[in-house]
Amino acid sequence: MLSHKKSSKKNSTPKLRQRFLLPVVFLLLSFLLMILPLEGFVSSVKAVLAYVFIPQVRLAHSTAKYAENVYQTVRELLDAHRENRALKQEIEMTKLLASQAEAILDENGRLTEILRLNPAKRWVGVWAKVAYREPTQWNTVIIDKGSRDGIRERSAVISMEEGKEGLAGVVLEVTENTSKVLLVRDEDFSAAVYLERGQEEGLLVGNGPRPVRIKYIPLLAKVKKGDKVFTASTSSIFPAGILVGEVSGVREDESFQTALTVNVDPLVHSAAVKEVFVILDGGRVK
Amino acid sequence: MWSLVKLIFLFILATVFHWAFASIFSCWDLSVNILLVFAVAFCVVLKPGFGYAASFVCGLFLDFFGTRLFGNNAFTFTICACIVYHLADRFDFEAFFPQIVAGFGLTLLAGLLNSLLYLWFTSAAMWPGFWSLLGGAFVSGILAPAVFWLVRRILGKGAVCRQV
Repeated sequence: MLSHKKSSKKNSTPKLRQRFLLPVVFLLLSFLLMILPLEGFVSSVKAVLAYVFIPQVRLAHSTAKYAENVYQTVRELLDAHRENRALKQEIEMTKLLASQAEAILDENGRLTEILRLNPAKRWVGVWAKVAYREPTQWNTVIIDKGSRDGIRERSAVISMEEGKEGLAGVVLEVTENTSKVLLVRDEDFSAAVYLERGQEEGLLVGNGPRPVRIKYIPLLAKVKKGDKVFTASTSSIFPAGILVGEVSGVREDESFQTALTVNVDPLVHSAAVKEVFVILDGGRVK
Repeated sequence: MWSLVKLIFLFILATVFHWAFASIFSCWDLSVNILLVFAVAFCVVLKPGFGYAASFVCGLFLDFFGTRLFGNNAFTFTICACIVYHLADRFDFEAFFPQIVAGFGLTLLAGLLNSLLYLWFTSAAMWPGFWSLLGGAFVSGILAPAVFWLVRRILGKGAVCRQV
């Protein structure tokens, strides 16, 4: 009986120790860490722990990053699937519009023939990317297509801006694989244009950093800010009807003037041109 | 010895999981505490000597990233270990529901205790917000059975484990 009591006492001592002593020790230790100033002993403990934990933290961080990338990739994949479906629908719509446009063009051709009007010209050309910009001359760019692609000197160059095509410039020099394009803002650039409102024609000239101008507009012409400007059919280089930009103001400060000078805000901004369409053979295909 | 190596491996795995889940759920402003769930699972499986030590080290790992207070997580993790060892006789931690309840309740308690300790020692509020705390505790609770399964699976019935 006595021996049984002794053995049970022996068993209960480590149990008690485990039950109360261990948590008390750990709680006291953590309490001590909390009340001690962060600079002295605690910073030494942290420095020691850094050796143990930092490789672990790196591993954890890279794993979490990897998991994050997986999530991102899956999301992109799902987005791509949705985009693909939307684009397929868009292509179908474009095909439909193209076939409608074809029918309209045929009808237009027939009517033009009956009415003996000048036939409309369809633009054909090549898309090219801006490959280089002269750091000193912001108004000229080099494109990555040349004579091998059918580009000739004085070919008209257009570009897309805000979903509309606008006059970008003219090809100045051509090599086998590249071409130099003179942009609308350059002082050497000029083109025959007309104003949408009154159909008055004038000469568009670049003006460097200052606004692009249209010269020789009749004095009595009604010009308002926001009027659209298009290339005129009298131009020997540019096909008619290319949007150049909008009227930004009329210069009225010149005394003894015989014609108006109109400032134009070009649709295509020189600094933003990244991709251009070079119209081949003056756009005279049909 | 072998089971001690397994325990260290599990601790490393726990930190990796904690980091990953904390990063993912922080997008939804949830303070998920997977390391605490691992500490609870350690206490369920391990002998008290190893269980308390593992919980304390897990807490220290989280304290390592703190800037204003050191030891608060070690303290709360040890408290949680105490609770688990006292409940072990009355709770059947083999079943899913007690595991979820333990994960949820102890994460909530640890969050509250940490905030109180911060307020007491630094006079600074570290209150994550009710939604963050409750949501985090909920996610921790949901993940608890998987963590318990993993700990049991890896540790098995080694020398460091309680033979239930």
